[in-house]
Amino acid sequence: MQADKVIDAKGLACPMPIVKTKKAMDELGSGQILEVHATDKGAKNDLAAWAKSSGHELLEDREEDGALKFWIKKG
Amino acid sequence: MSTKVAIIASNGGLFDAYKVFNIATAAAATDAEVSIFFTFEGLNLIHKQAYQQLPMPAGREHFAEGFKAANVPAIPELVGMAVELGVKIIACQMTMDVMNLKKEDFIDGIDVGGAVTFLDFAKDANVTLTF
Repeated sequence: MQADKVIDAKGLACPMPIVKTKKAMDELGSGQILEVHATDKGAKNDLAAWAKSSGHELLEDREEDGALKFWIKKG
Repeated sequence: MSTKVAIIASNGGLFDAYKVFNIATAAAATDAEVSIFFTFEGLNLIHKQAYQQLPMPAGREHFAEGFKAANVPAIPELVGMAVELGVKIIACQMTMDVMNLKKEDFIDGIDVGGAVTFLDFAKDANVTLTF
């Protein structure tokens, strides 16, 4: 999937992946896609909940190369 | 209207600090309006010197390694992030008077207020937490 911005939150503990994702998302425009890489296992549920609460859409998430990858479309 | 989260922090250990600031930071990063009222030992969590060396509970000192291994941010770093994300910090005036503490003893950017200052924010909060 083609992302407009990619951020690396690997190795970071909660709540840092969320904080980093929020900051990156602030720089995007509506409809643009942010790709997030994380290793915090809690991020799988947390990023889904974050997207829902913040009015964004989690398009896809999967495990790849030992990391959790997320694609979130800005609302 | 955004979600409002009202937190009371009344304990001063390292674990307490993580409970308070992780929730506050996560909420602020999810576009919530967050206010924390720091009272009694909770004031340690925003005290310029104390918050750099908060104690672990007795017998739990070995968790220090776990914090390092999990790459958990240090408390001053987490507090800085909370402030940057717009978390409002209110120090309890009465406790400050009892403990003879001045506003200058605390980190920058805090408000000092009484119980009603907090209650006014908390009265229509969606989430209220006490730590």
